[in-house]
Amino acid sequence: MKDTDSSRFTRTGPDATGPYDDPEPTGPPGDPGREASGTPTEFLFGPGSQFHRFFNDPRWALAVVRATVLEAAHPQIGAALADNSSFVVHPWRRLSNTLVSLQRMFGADEHTRQREAARLNRLHTRLSGTDARNRPYDAMDPEVRAWVVATLFESSVTMCRLSGQPLDQITMERLYAEFQAFLAALGDEAGHLPPTLHEFWKYYDRMVAEELQNTEALRIILFKLFEHLPAPPLFAGLPTVWATGRALAGPVIGTITVASLPEVFRRRAGLPEVPGAQTLMQGAYVTARLARALPDNWIRTENFVSLLQLSPDGDGPCAEALTTLRARVKRAGALIRLITPVPAQQDGTGGTENRRSARVFFTEVLDQTGDGYLDWPDLAAMARELCSRLDLDEPEETRLYDAFAAWWRELQAALDSDGDGRVSEEEYAAAAPSLAGPALIRVAEVLFGVTDADGDQFIDAEEYRVLFRRGFGRSVVDAEGRYSRSAFVRDFLSFMSGRQRSTSYDPLLADA
Amino acid sequence: MIDVIEAARSAGVEWLSLYAFSTENWRRPGEEIDFLMRLVSRVVRKHAPLLYARGIRCRFLGAEDPRIPVRLAQEFTDLMTLTESNRGMTLTVAFDHGGRQDIVSAARSLIRAGVSADAVDQARFAAHLPVPDTPDVDLVIRTSGEQRISNFMLWQVAYAEWIFPSVLWPDFRASHFLECLHDYRSRDRRFGGVTPQANGEPHR
Repeated sequence: MKDTDSSRFTRTGPDATGPYDDPEPTGPPGDPGREASGTPTEFLFGPGSQFHRFFNDPRWALAVVRATVLEAAHPQIGAALADNSSFVVHPWRRLSNTLVSLQRMFGADEHTRQREAARLNRLHTRLSGTDARNRPYDAMDPEVRAWVVATLFESSVTMCRLSGQPLDQITMERLYAEFQAFLAALGDEAGHLPPTLHEFWKYYDRMVAEELQNTEALRIILFKLFEHLPAPPLFAGLPTVWATGRALAGPVIGTITVASLPEVFRRRAGLPEVPGAQTLMQGAYVTARLARALPDNWIRTENFVSLLQLSPDGDGPCAEALTTLRARVKRAGALIRLITPVPAQQDGTGGTENRRSARVFFTEVLDQTGDGYLDWPDLAAMARELCSRLDLDEPEETRLYDAFAAWWRELQAALDSDGDGRVSEEEYAAAAPSLAGPALIRVAEVLFGVTDADGDQFIDAEEYRVLFRRGFGRSVVDAEGRYSRSAFVRDFLSFMSGRQRSTSYDPLLADA
Repeated sequence: MIDVIEAARSAGVEWLSLYAFSTENWRRPGEEIDFLMRLVSRVVRKHAPLLYARGIRCRFLGAEDPRIPVRLAQEFTDLMTLTESNRGMTLTVAFDHGGRQDIVSAARSLIRAGVSADAVDQARFAAHLPVPDTPDVDLVIRTSGEQRISNFMLWQVAYAEWIFPSVLWPDFRASHFLECLHDYRSRDRRFGGVTPQANGEPHR
């Protein structure tokens, strides 16, 4: 804790005056008059809100990516992301969770909002620690949370400006009030976001000019994530198709995002200036704006979310069409593989089968954060995903986290042979055969308990669908069509320690 | 090989099986095996588009041995995926196949399914063979002058006609195939009875 850079913890409230007396042209022309906090909640959320208008706007995809990059550039958020987030390995899961959460927060139903706020708070309470240079971070820090909301707001405004449709002053203030209300709904006391839009721009410019850094998380997002973006579940098994599209789109998204960041920050962080990037970026925003002319249900974010959650052999309203489509794409993929020339001659006959699959399991399932090590954040990410799926409240959520924590201690004790506090791929592969300890069985038991929502000691089709987003497979149910505790525990263990592929758990924990 | 497949298809054959590699072939010298694997891979890649375009459904029998190179296994899977919805001729490539092994797997599968001993009859047994939709074999062409079964689809060849041309497999062409087919058509198949049945008719 030697260099706890105290300047990073100074309040940046309304009265923090930055060195900028001349705000960017985006800033309002000095009209701080409208008092936002007086607007009643029902006008700030729900279908009539400004936010709601943006939510189904295709440009919003670009704006959210941009906001995420600006968040990652905040040293505290960057550290939390680099340590805890599974977004590099599971970006689609993360994106779909985020969109669902925003939908709940900005929806019309007050009860849903409060519940979601409580859930987010619990989730963030669990995200704290110290970064690589021993500086503490805490996802509950109100400064940090204010910055997240600020980036979302600013990116929405910028998205309109860049696509040639700047918001008028009234709309902008209205939107700002909504985002303030969002932060307030999370339970943070006011004051961390400046009260007026005029002061907001000063705050924003000061943050960009002074606080943001070229963090590791920022570099990961810009230069690693986009170019190695794993396929969403829909495309799993079609690596050729996905890789071809990604090779074209990945660098472009990266370039567009960099070009849309504030110039001050690009210069300070030493981000590359690519010739033509500005034009490309504005072109992308304008194109996305024009895409709004597409039929409504093509661009609805909910539909996009459900598409993200679809996995090909699941079931659901459009499963059949999807299966047909996917079969075609699969055939196309097979044909492409067959007619492309063989790379190099490397006919490894699959001898060390067990060891190799332990490694594959390590990368695909255990290492949720994708840093090459198994560590508490990896298991916490699993617990987090399970809690989100099951939509758990307290105390079930804590029970599940505790079970995972105990499992982590067990794994650490059994596998961390070099004592560095984390488990490397080699350590796991070496010990893999002997791996179903009592703590793992406990995880299975607790997971069964929280999944069995009505507590009748069986998981019925409805409960099963909540967890796995699909109907019962033929193999899991007993004669009465129920899934028993022992069968559940057995299947969980054969997935986790037997490393069996599983149509239920793979989409849940291994898919991107 | 591809012209034999073409000839069979245009002559109206619906099921064609090629015996590429037997379970016992693994005992051959390593270099020969490597060569064979590379050859098969080349053939698969070269002819995949044609097989697909001709509406031929391709399947591989056996082909589960871990000694098969990963890439080749992927190519087999790809070819099967590519052609699985084709409805023309079914081409079965027996790769790493052994007839006895098939019968053993069928027996295992029966026992696992808990079928009682009295309930086992021929049809029931056949339903547990790998790829149970394969019909009985009508004609086996054993090239190279060899006159052995070599553990090939033992269950299915029970009433097959056999032809043993002396030409070596690499030299076996469409014309040879048509000769064999002609020969087969002139044969009188009785299936143990006395009434001749038209060739190719089901006979259970």
